Amino acid sequence: MSIAEAEARELQLEAPSGLWNEAWRRLRRNPGAIIGFVLVATFVTCALFAPLIAPEDPRVGDLARLEGSCCPGPSAEHIFGVDQQGRDVFSRVIYGARYSLLIGVVSVAVGLSIGMIIGAIAGYFGGWVDTLLMRLMDIMLSIPGLLLAIGIVAALGPGLVQIMVAVGVTQIPIFARLLRGSILAAREADYVLAARSVGVPRRAILSSHLLPNAISPVIVQGTLALATAIIEVAGLGFLGLGPQDPSTPEWGTMLTDTTRYLQTAPHLALIPGFAIVISVLGFNLIGDGLREALDPRFRGRA
Amino acid sequence: MGRTSMRILLLLATALLVLAAAGCGGDDDDGDGGEGATGGELVFAGASDPVVLDGALVSDGESLRPIDQMFEGLVSLAPGSTEIIPALAESWEANADGTAWTFRLRENVTFHDGEPFNAEAVCFNFDRWYNFKGPFQLESATYYWQTVFGGFSDGEEPSLYESCEATDESTVVINLTKASSSFLGALALTNFTFASPQALQEFGADEGTVDEETGFKPTGTYGTEHPTGTGPFRFVSWTRGDRLVLERYEDYWGEKAKLDRLIFRPISDNAARLQALQAGDIQGYDLVEPQDIETIEGDENLQVLDRPPFNVAYVGINQKMAPMNRLEVRQAIAHGLDRQSVVDNFYAGRGEVAKAFMPPSLEGYADDVMEYEYDPEKSKELLRQAGLTLPVRIDFWYPTDVSRPYMPDPKRNFEAFAASLNKAGFQVTPHSAPWSPDYLGRAQEGTAGHLHLLGWTGDYGDPDNFIGTFFQTETGQFGFNNPELFDLLNRAETETDQAARIGLYEDANRMIMEFLPGVPYAHTEPALAFTANVTGYTPSPVSLEPFSTVSME
Amino acid sequence: MLRFVVRRLLLLVPILVGLSLLVFLWIRALPGGPAQALLGERATAESIEQIEEQYGLDKPIHLQYFTYVSKIAQGDLGTSVTTRRPVVDELQQRFPATIELALAAMLFSITLGIPLGFIAAKRYGGAVDHGSLVLSLIGISIPVFFLAILLKYVFAVQLGLLPTVGRISATIDLEHPTNFYVLDALIAGDMEALWDTLTHMVLPAIALGSIPLAVIARITRAAVLDVQNEDYVRTARAKGLAPRVVDVRHIFRNAMLPIVTIIGLQVGLLLSGAVLTETVFAWPGMGTWLVDAIEQRNYPVLQAGILFVAVVFVLVNLLVDISYALINPRIRVS
Repeated sequence: MSIAEAEARELQLEAPSGLWNEAWRRLRRNPGAIIGFVLVATFVTCALFAPLIAPEDPRVGDLARLEGSCCPGPSAEHIFGVDQQGRDVFSRVIYGARYSLLIGVVSVAVGLSIGMIIGAIAGYFGGWVDTLLMRLMDIMLSIPGLLLAIGIVAALGPGLVQIMVAVGVTQIPIFARLLRGSILAAREADYVLAARSVGVPRRAILSSHLLPNAISPVIVQGTLALATAIIEVAGLGFLGLGPQDPSTPEWGTMLTDTTRYLQTAPHLALIPGFAIVISVLGFNLIGDGLREALDPRFRGRA
Repeated sequence: MGRTSMRILLLLATALLVLAAAGCGGDDDDGDGGEGATGGELVFAGASDPVVLDGALVSDGESLRPIDQMFEGLVSLAPGSTEIIPALAESWEANADGTAWTFRLRENVTFHDGEPFNAEAVCFNFDRWYNFKGPFQLESATYYWQTVFGGFSDGEEPSLYESCEATDESTVVINLTKASSSFLGALALTNFTFASPQALQEFGADEGTVDEETGFKPTGTYGTEHPTGTGPFRFVSWTRGDRLVLERYEDYWGEKAKLDRLIFRPISDNAARLQALQAGDIQGYDLVEPQDIETIEGDENLQVLDRPPFNVAYVGINQKMAPMNRLEVRQAIAHGLDRQSVVDNFYAGRGEVAKAFMPPSLEGYADDVMEYEYDPEKSKELLRQAGLTLPVRIDFWYPTDVSRPYMPDPKRNFEAFAASLNKAGFQVTPHSAPWSPDYLGRAQEGTAGHLHLLGWTGDYGDPDNFIGTFFQTETGQFGFNNPELFDLLNRAETETDQAARIGLYEDANRMIMEFLPGVPYAHTEPALAFTANVTGYTPSPVSLEPFSTVSME
Repeated sequence: MLRFVVRRLLLLVPILVGLSLLVFLWIRALPGGPAQALLGERATAESIEQIEEQYGLDKPIHLQYFTYVSKIAQGDLGTSVTTRRPVVDELQQRFPATIELALAAMLFSITLGIPLGFIAAKRYGGAVDHGSLVLSLIGISIPVFFLAILLKYVFAVQLGLLPTVGRISATIDLEHPTNFYVLDALIAGDMEALWDTLTHMVLPAIALGSIPLAVIARITRAAVLDVQNEDYVRTARAKGLAPRVVDVRHIFRNAMLPIVTIIGLQVGLLLSGAVLTETVFAWPGMGTWLVDAIEQRNYPVLQAGILFVAVVFVLVNLLVDISYALINPRIRVS
């Protein structure tokens, strides 16, 4: 190992770690973030242990439970009432956490991974590659997000996977721009110039210096994007582009189906609606907390 | 820090509670609607805007409804039935072989532009329809002409229509190329109502340009700004997507309309239509959803009117998809569908379980057809008899973005049927597509899986309009070839002796329910809603409903 | 400044070309076809062919694109497949409806959001600050259609205070020279119509404006907090200027920069939100138009509508950039 390499190794280690410890300390002192963690933890618990929590099979109902042509509201037996197929709404909301969280995470993962690759390439190589990729992102951004997602689902057909892809794709440009911006800023930073001057290879600079330092805004954005994704998925469901199997207990789709019963059975729309609001709120609170914790400008304040 | 977090928690909780309380305002609804309508002005909401106000060129209900108020044909239907009564023709007779029909026209009838209605005007309209060319020959434009009369004057397809003769001012003879048992009934269709020849020409009803890239563009203003008929209401104005305004025609030959003005508004959302009615923005609307009926009936300011059942909802089976070509499997489907529960729970008491593919009120209906009660065990047994291993996997399609009179919430019907089939030895894979064009296209091409949901509303009172439409030839939709059934239906259609004809249709119904090309499950009474002060509206099985007798207290 | 504007305008060209190509190709990727949409329930293979020929859908795809672009250049957006009306005519009715709604929503969110954020920052850590933080968090966490449904259910259905659907009552006669109903009512001098159309606008505007309101309040708060600690503000205070003068002349003016940016960024959100809000309130704007067009595979409307929305969006962003440059001269150089 040459001296230059040893120095480079040391620089790699040094750049990120201090930042994270401090961020975590500040995050723990932020009440909003703690509420966010509680809300999100509740939903992750529901999602993971749905079969243990839910009293009934969310897909199987009993039409004999219906009164008139629709659905009795909350009662001792069914605390959130019964839906239009005679199914227990509580069980469906619990299982719904599974779908909403899964869809949210997968679609953000899609947007984040593709966006990061594009952003990293654009930011690192610059020149015409950068121009081309960023013009492409501009074009994508010039179509309002939901319209773009609707367009993609319209082309792929309705369904869970298609929705994940559609929502993920709408998030690509945001992540691409974000990462490119961070890399451009970091490229000129002292420790990168230093690493370069001691001869650290290009790829190593990208993976060990540029990416880790550009990553904190991406994590913040990723958390907030989870919130956006859940809302967008619900929006697509509301417009009737949800999962193919209508018995799927997905919150957005549950809400869509039931708005037509708003007069006679408002609980059918309100309960999944509030489930969405609460989980989205959780991710927003965490995202905000993270932003404050990771942003040096906020250091003196929290 | 602890205090701040408590405070935020409290605020959060309060905010959510306020929202929740606001949301759960209770189910009771002491209607505050009913006001807003003054004098003789009624606002009626349809699901969409009319396409164009020219009866010859439309086939959708939202266009036909207002056209029906402004225009009249030779004959009409008695209120609330499919019985033929005189309209612009006072009497008629056919010659011995049924190929020449002579109509005596009502006298002293004028069009809304002051032009006289006479034999020449009748022939002008018939000649217009018969001589349509180019894009006018598309089924989307002239579906009913093609259904009733076949081809046009260009002779590419044979036509039932031969010529029209104005023998004198008030006598007209329509010559046909062959006898037809459904000709007179079809003349009651709104599509064959008469427009002022003067207005048709002056405002370019048949003018349009056809260019290569964008296709047909109407350039005339007849169908959008100057529709001119003889009916009890006349056109005032039409703001697309917003409102169509009609007013009473003071020189109407018969009993004049009671309302001063009649306004049609398109409101595509079901819930929005109900809410507009409750708020008093509108005084009536069509296609009431079953789950809203209770709300409307519970509101003393509102009322529900029912159309007589004249439709059928069915589960279609595609026999091209194995194993649906086997009778036992089709029987297993029929026994596996919990039709009673669906009809009892989803139609608000406004439906009955269908035994056949046409409504009981029609002649030719047979009450003694084969019946299939819900019996999941029997389904499984039938499937095992057929040598299949359970569960049998099937693809089942349903439409989205649509509400039909026979199927107000297709997804809901689908879910219940899928659940009951899953208990009967099948394993259902759900598929959906937007109603038009995807779903209908798939159903017609036969690419909508093993099973699909569909239905039909009758256009006129003839069994041919139901089972003849479905099963007279081999179709992609049902995918079977049954020459015996095709032949029986062909004979029934051309039979001129009414009693013999009825017998043939009864036989056909029995044969169909044994052969099971699909499973009919409901005849429904579609509901309309009005504010309580509206009187004089008579629902019709084929939705031909005059507003001229309607008044508001 | 002029060079900056010209350069930004030139940058529009590749974006517009890319957009038109994207929209054009996307529509061809859709399942089903426009011919089927036109014929609907009673379609046959033969009639489908006939329609495809008439609409030029049977030609090679690059020719279709070429004719498409040259038509647009001539201002010809084609004919709607379902209504058989020129797309331009429909656009002239739909676009003002959405813009009117979006402006009302913007007005609501700006007039409420900026003061709220300002007060929150001035009383940093106080009750107003915490309250507005919580409200704005909930604001951005509610799906816009769910909020729309809630508002409609409470204020229109249960309380009966406001109309449920549409832009104006059916019983009111009004000429529509501009299709901005508020303007139309003012031109006609019809106060009843003005009041009626305003009441129709309240709930949709609140539903649509709630997210921008939350965002604007948050950004205003953050921007004011940033500026408050700058040296020139301290200097101004130290000079003994009245607090109100400092607020307006120094703090507010400098905080405007991020606020203007964020308002510009809300346009895309508004257009997305409009699709859902219009659906709930049956508002006859671009949103309901495009959603219907997608369902019906109404190609000419889809092409024109999406392209138009995107172009408007791009132009608004351009305006924001220019105003940004006007406020902050440093931008012009880079």
